[in-house]
Amino acid sequence: MTTTTAEPASLTLENLRKTYVARGREPFEAVKGMDLKIRPGELIALLGPSGCGKTTTLRMIAGLETVTAGNIKIGDRVVQDLPPGKRDIGVGFESYALYPPLSVRENLAYGLKARGVKGAREMVGRIAERLEMTELLELRPASLSSGQKQRVALARALIRNPRVLLLDEPLSHLDAAQRQRVRRELKVLQREFGYTTIVVTHDQLEALSLADRMAVMNAGVVEQFGTPDEIYDNPANVFVADFVGEPKINLFEGTVERRGGDVHVRVGREGTLRTAVGDADDGRPVTVGLRPQDARPAADDEAGVPAEVAVYEDFMEFGLATVEVAGVDGRIVVQTPHGVHWRRGDIRRIAARPDRVYLFDTDSGGRIR
Amino acid sequence: MATEIKPGRKRLTLGSVGADLLLVFWFVFSLFPIAWMVLLALKTDTEQTTTYFAFSPTFDNFGTVMSQRGTDLTSVDFAGALVSSVLNCGGAVLVSLLIGIPAAYAAGRWKYRGSEDLMFQMLSFRFAPELMVVVPLFVIYNQTGLFDTTYGMIWVLQLVTMPLVVWILRSYFQDLSAELEQAALLDGYTRRRAFVMVALPLVRPGIAAAALLAFIFAWNNYVFPLILTDSNATTVTVAVTKFLGGGGQAYYNLTAAAALIGALPPLLLALTIQRYLVRGLSFGAVKA
Repeated sequence: MTTTTAEPASLTLENLRKTYVARGREPFEAVKGMDLKIRPGELIALLGPSGCGKTTTLRMIAGLETVTAGNIKIGDRVVQDLPPGKRDIGVGFESYALYPPLSVRENLAYGLKARGVKGAREMVGRIAERLEMTELLELRPASLSSGQKQRVALARALIRNPRVLLLDEPLSHLDAAQRQRVRRELKVLQREFGYTTIVVTHDQLEALSLADRMAVMNAGVVEQFGTPDEIYDNPANVFVADFVGEPKINLFEGTVERRGGDVHVRVGREGTLRTAVGDADDGRPVTVGLRPQDARPAADDEAGVPAEVAVYEDFMEFGLATVEVAGVDGRIVVQTPHGVHWRRGDIRRIAARPDRVYLFDTDSGGRIR
Repeated sequence: MATEIKPGRKRLTLGSVGADLLLVFWFVFSLFPIAWMVLLALKTDTEQTTTYFAFSPTFDNFGTVMSQRGTDLTSVDFAGALVSSVLNCGGAVLVSLLIGIPAAYAAGRWKYRGSEDLMFQMLSFRFAPELMVVVPLFVIYNQTGLFDTTYGMIWVLQLVTMPLVVWILRSYFQDLSAELEQAALLDGYTRRRAFVMVALPLVRPGIAAAALLAFIFAWNNYVFPLILTDSNATTVTVAVTKFLGGGGQAYYNLTAAAALIGALPPLLLALTIQRYLVRGLSFGAVKA
């Protein structure tokens, strides 16, 4: 055992598949051919709604679930046929998986004992010091707070110096205040230790704030893989646009209208938005995506969509106006900056930067660029 | 603090006094048969049908029951039946645990085709009245040589105990987070060692409870030993009834004494494994 951090490894998923087959039932494809190349030391978030296959993917990487097809490589080593204990992977479980009758110290040493590692005591001391939890060592799991349990679980995952660290919903059992703190700690620790890390989460804030790159998953498929900026600014399809972003993106129907060199989209009866989309035929029906943060009052000489404010909520640092547009089903939410106050009944013309007006194919949901 | 409530001291209200009175009444009511049996066991043959509470008690009955001295009940080997009962029931519980623990673990951890049906079928052994199956069993036992043997009794009593063990322990295993074992797998344990080292110790209270309950059920079984044994492997439950007059006179005092002795082994077992019955050992494993 080395005393320094193990060299972080790359992690590659090639056409990874998981199909559950039950007699008398349709086979269920939980993961449908996933390709992911994760660079050494990168922190990746798998983000998606429940049932999207993100936890199944994590469990396949850990070796707790068999692989139906495809490859999992850690560095250059193909690992999908190795037992979990031989893959050099640390897992932080959602339930923390701490052994209740044992103290924190014994819990941390437990995994080392299985391998007959010498110097377990020193290693426990060292990891406890690094994670600043020395004072917890003699306590039982039952007397720890959720945040402390999370920290012990992390220490347990890290003590063997794994080449890859997997965290399953690491913040889901924490209250809001702890969540913020642990999220920051996690990021600092990951940078400091340099582990190749995958975090599974259904919380987009968690993914956006933690990840170097993130994979947005839906129904067993990676909808988009990229940096948080790419995901947020350049969503590949309606699903990604809808899943990432708070408050949620506005999605409504529109029709493409070409005016000379410009491409506009007609929204409702009276308004249009200018968009930077180039490849759209005149008259094509589309789904328009407009983030509340991108919507703003239109300038006088600018195209815009007239809207009436139905509800205005002022959160001081920003406000949220829920507006109605004649001829558009549903309402559109506009975020207003600090110091601006709209009122119920106001009529505003809404516009946005052309590159921030996203168009999606109405049927496939794919982005029109 | 002003609002401190002293432990062990409740305010006396009409309601609480009434509740206590009701409890006392209930205790007297439910303990009366046992008290009556103790009194009866201490009476001599001539006093056994009297209803006085005042009499000169004798402990002779216990000796008589164990040794058969001084009665015409020469065919009752109660001491032998006691040993047989311990062997039969102990054996049945042991078999149920050896097979039932892995079965319960498998049933609690994995869903497979027909797993629920299998569990239900096992429970359904308990639905059929024993009298319904005991006659065909008698014929089978006679032909296979299992009649009046310890093996035969262990086999038939585990039909009673196995479903109990499997059903109780399955819920214990289900309550246990599978992630505990998975963490052990990642630490390099094999599946089997993860089961033995991680899961098994945490369900120890469940094993103790299931074993005790199974033992009591097997111990109290009457129909199977009545029909399927004669003198070799007969049990306490059958032997006790012999004092009621197989030889002519009914000895209620001896019956009571025998029943009291017969109740001792399950009681002793319960007291012995009481400390393992503490639940809560596995609490906090899952909840955050």
